[in-house]
Amino acid sequence: MLDALTGLGVLEYVWLAPLIPLLCFVIAGFFGNRTPQGGGYIAIFGALAAFVVALLASYEYVMSDAYSAGEAFVRDLEWLVFGDYALNFGVYIDSLSCIMMLFASFISLLIFIYSVGYMDGEGKKKRRYYAEVSLFLTGMLGLVVSSNYLQMFIFWEIMGLCSYLLIGFWGFDHPEGDEATENAASAAKKAFLVTRLGDVCLLAGLFILLHMFGTLDYEGMFMQAKIDAVVAANPVKFPVAMALVFGGAIGKSAQFPLHDWLPDAMAGPTTVSALIHAATMVKGGVFLVARSFPLFVQSADVMLFVAIIGGVTAVFTATMALNNMNIKRVLAYSTLSQLGYMVLSLGAGGYLVAMGMETGNAELIGLGVLGYSAGVFHMVNHAFFKALLFLGSGSVIHSTGTEDMRLMGGLGKKMKITSITMLLGSLSIAGFPFFSGFWSKDLVLETALAPASHGLGAEHWFTLLFALGMITAFMTAFYMFRMWFLTFAGKPRERAVLSHGESPKSMTMPLVILSIFAVGSGLAIFANFLCHAAQSLEVGMRWIMDAGRVGINEHVYDGIAVVKHMFGNVWTYVAIALTLVGMAIAHAVYAKRKFEPEAFRIENKGRLYKLVANRYYAPEIYNQISWKLGAGVAKAVDLTDRKVVDGAVNGIANAIIGAGDAVSMSQTGYVRNYAGVVVLGVVVLAVVFVLAFALTGGI
Amino acid sequence: MLSEIPLLSLLLIVPLIGAVVTLLMGGGMAKHAGKAAGLFAAITMVLSLYLLFVDDLSTLDESHVWIDAVGLKINYALTVDGLSLLLILMTTILVTLVLVFCKNEADRPNYFHSLILMMEIGLVGVFMAADYFLFYVMWEVTLIPMFFLISWYGGPRRHYAAIKFFIYTHVASLVMLIGIFAMVFEASSVTGAGIDFAFEAVKAAPFAKDFQTVVFGLLFFGFIVKMPMVPFHTWLPDAHVEAPTGGSVLLAASMLKMGSYGIVRICLEALPLGAIEWQWVMIGLGLVSMVYGAYACIAQKDLKKLVAYSSVSHMGMVLLAIGTLSEIGILFAVVQMFAHGLISAALFMVAGAAGHNFGTRDIPLLGGLAGKFPLFAAFMMFSFMASLGLPGLVGFVAEFGILFSFWEFLAAQPDEWVTVLIAFGPLYMLLTAGYYLWAMQRTLFGAETKKVDLSKCEDLGGPETVALGLVCLLVAVFGIMPSLAVDFIAPYADTLGTFLGGLI
Repeated sequence: MLDALTGLGVLEYVWLAPLIPLLCFVIAGFFGNRTPQGGGYIAIFGALAAFVVALLASYEYVMSDAYSAGEAFVRDLEWLVFGDYALNFGVYIDSLSCIMMLFASFISLLIFIYSVGYMDGEGKKKRRYYAEVSLFLTGMLGLVVSSNYLQMFIFWEIMGLCSYLLIGFWGFDHPEGDEATENAASAAKKAFLVTRLGDVCLLAGLFILLHMFGTLDYEGMFMQAKIDAVVAANPVKFPVAMALVFGGAIGKSAQFPLHDWLPDAMAGPTTVSALIHAATMVKGGVFLVARSFPLFVQSADVMLFVAIIGGVTAVFTATMALNNMNIKRVLAYSTLSQLGYMVLSLGAGGYLVAMGMETGNAELIGLGVLGYSAGVFHMVNHAFFKALLFLGSGSVIHSTGTEDMRLMGGLGKKMKITSITMLLGSLSIAGFPFFSGFWSKDLVLETALAPASHGLGAEHWFTLLFALGMITAFMTAFYMFRMWFLTFAGKPRERAVLSHGESPKSMTMPLVILSIFAVGSGLAIFANFLCHAAQSLEVGMRWIMDAGRVGINEHVYDGIAVVKHMFGNVWTYVAIALTLVGMAIAHAVYAKRKFEPEAFRIENKGRLYKLVANRYYAPEIYNQISWKLGAGVAKAVDLTDRKVVDGAVNGIANAIIGAGDAVSMSQTGYVRNYAGVVVLGVVVLAVVFVLAFALTGGI
Repeated sequence: MLSEIPLLSLLLIVPLIGAVVTLLMGGGMAKHAGKAAGLFAAITMVLSLYLLFVDDLSTLDESHVWIDAVGLKINYALTVDGLSLLLILMTTILVTLVLVFCKNEADRPNYFHSLILMMEIGLVGVFMAADYFLFYVMWEVTLIPMFFLISWYGGPRRHYAAIKFFIYTHVASLVMLIGIFAMVFEASSVTGAGIDFAFEAVKAAPFAKDFQTVVFGLLFFGFIVKMPMVPFHTWLPDAHVEAPTGGSVLLAASMLKMGSYGIVRICLEALPLGAIEWQWVMIGLGLVSMVYGAYACIAQKDLKKLVAYSSVSHMGMVLLAIGTLSEIGILFAVVQMFAHGLISAALFMVAGAAGHNFGTRDIPLLGGLAGKFPLFAAFMMFSFMASLGLPGLVGFVAEFGILFSFWEFLAAQPDEWVTVLIAFGPLYMLLTAGYYLWAMQRTLFGAETKKVDLSKCEDLGGPETVALGLVCLLVAVFGIMPSLAVDFIAPYADTLGTFLGGLI
């Protein structure tokens, strides 16, 4: 039967995956309100169809000869030809595209189903919601199947637009009143502009790449001989271009210092948060780094920079989750922190590959590939448990009508399914042994340490990054269980008392499905997931075609061996211990003792607590910068325009009109002005004629 | 035979008849003037669309001696090529849509619609002229109807704005006229032939480099005032603020393009050595206008003034692209002219609709419009997103190409440090996104300010929706399939770019 599936030839039609949600966007946008649930079922159909296409196409690709030969499946149409350049529109399918397509469409499908219950009370606005989430899915699927950077950028920006629209979903009529309305509008703008800062860097990087390579097609760029020639000819511009490309990822994946848009993005519906954090948007930046790996690894410096940004983001943003009382914000900070892990893994892995290629050391390359696969692995695991956690928090918010955990407590009894599934999600993200986060986080940390333990230079950096990663693991366990205990344990507080119990089936059913995946996705490590992930690197690096399986050792290809190695490593046990300690402290502080909301008012706390609670004043810093560099300069420009430029113009005009008055002796309105015009014209004419004659020596 | 019909002349004659007929429809007929004008505009549009299906555009060329006396030869010569084709189409389409949009103009409708058609004659004439004298005449023809559109139908400060507009552009065109005379006379003296105003006659003359440099300056001044480039731009916001919506749309969409069209058609084609001397001035003015205009937008409170300043910023992109003197730069300069024409038409329709429907365009007075006026909000958001270069819409294609051509130019310079100038591109894009999003936040989103009574206001009406919808459709179609536009321009850009490349 499976053979019959490969015979369908769905791979040739893989472009349907982004196209079907696009059609659903149009249909839901125009006719949504004429269908039940304001187009909800249209969006669900679109996601389902996209998932089916992704599934069949992925299966077909993995079964194909191209897969084992390390080739991508590529189809291109000419889109725009100018000068010596041709830009294409097409698909580029390798294992990375398949993995991304699968989890993006599957999780979106579950979120859309959940939305039917969650957004039920939104009335006519549902049409807009379902149209926009469909377009969001189009953006993500288009992004991951794109055959070149420009096309990727187009979908990248479409996602940016959708996040703007959806974060601002209540931007003009928030149910909670004017202040919430203003916040939603402001958060949407902030998300778009901050990510736009990354986007314009990315675009500048693409100009440089297009100029150097003569193409933006992945297939045409990822050729070692060509890359070598380009790097040799542009020793400075190439790393700069790659750093700029990474700038795009910093914005989209909310890495430090462009991280601060993501917490504000909570202003949108919770389902949108789930979509942004798990299935789309922020995963785009990580995908960009993974997709560009063959280029990034040409510069160890850039990879070190990537790793540092990732490590710093991981720990820095985790601290903000420690004392936040808003259930969604805690999850938002955890996303930032986990994204830091992914970027750290890719950066450290890339550093290892770069060093391995420089020194011809195959083992290093193997470790680097493991780091790459670990980053992708963590992205997939995170997608499941973060979708679960956000939808779970949505269920809690739906039931209690608040996001403030100080008002919750004791919901475990009223909301059994939600509390259990969220417990499973929390265990996964905390890295509790054998839950999904455990496997990938451990590999990430192992990768971060590898450059240090192999003495590759920059040891101090990687030792530090590893230490930061360990601290983050501890903090993650603490703040996740702090959240869980505050929400579900203890006695019900104000809003929890009013809770109307468990959410409807359309909401709990996706939770149950997601919790199965959130717990189990880590087991993919035994199903050669790492090997599948590494395949895209083989494709990009052309390792199989050019030189056989360079240095990729059994550490990547044999999941059992990786796991054995993991449990032979003392740091694994240290990480487990840190996780357990974090959970235990959370239990001691927030479950055993009676919760006193008064003790957690920011006003009663010390300076450090306030600093963290105020997000290290990042919002103020953003504001200051944008006011100084934006509005401040704008005011100066406006003043220049009115006083200096127009002042000069009016001055000259008055002088001439004054002279005109003397000639025409006319004092009334228009005639005066016209006289001025004529005189001015004649004067200019005379001057210029004289000049022209003088300079050209007469006609 | 179809080929014997003087198609290009018809593009001038039809609106001319239309303008006269409409003008005469005074009194009781006045309420039908809009329909009549629309009919003539639509015929012109259909005729111009036929140009797309002509294999060899040069077969349409028309050339007749107009005046041949006292040693002067002036021709009635018309031509269409890759540079002008899309600009003509854009003009005829937008004139039609403007007439749809302004269908309900109540004040002396016969004059209003007649003036719009007169504008069309001038605009299409400028883009088709193949004779310097004709070019100048057409250039001036656009000036007069616009002057009256502003001073008759404009806002409270319309007289100041109209005079300012008139003085600025008139001085500029006089300087340009001197440049034209210098060129035509010098051509006659270097070739020894009689004085002939035809483009071809001048183009054939081998001008000395110094002469080219001086005359380039004269013509360039005339054109950049029209575009307009900083610091000669202040007439534009005033003119726009006071102009009626229909006038604003044509002013931004087509009239500004006359300036950039002139630079390519005359300065680059006839004075290439001068262009090379002035190259960095073009690049510098382009960059300054892009960023200065964008900053000025941030400070604006009037929606229409904001959109007007954004034109300064976006036209800066055109000059930047022309300044690269490369094939890709010229190609995307024309794409940007086309894109900005369509997008600015949508922008001014939206800004105009805000004024008509809500009684004010003052951003601080508005707020939360999206809840009550979904159609208006959708079109405003679409056109703002298009203007800030959202991929998938035509503005992005132009921006991408222009900034890429700029990078190619910078990368080819001997000094490596100049490559940092590319930072102007991202800065411009960021500022553009900034002022548009901030404006949307304050008008469409947030809570209602209650400073304006919106209870009796209505969302966009039928004609407005149709006109805006069609413009937005074009913006999307050319954004998704840019080759539809680019392929028409590419051969022209290739020829001119190669020609200039050989001289640099």
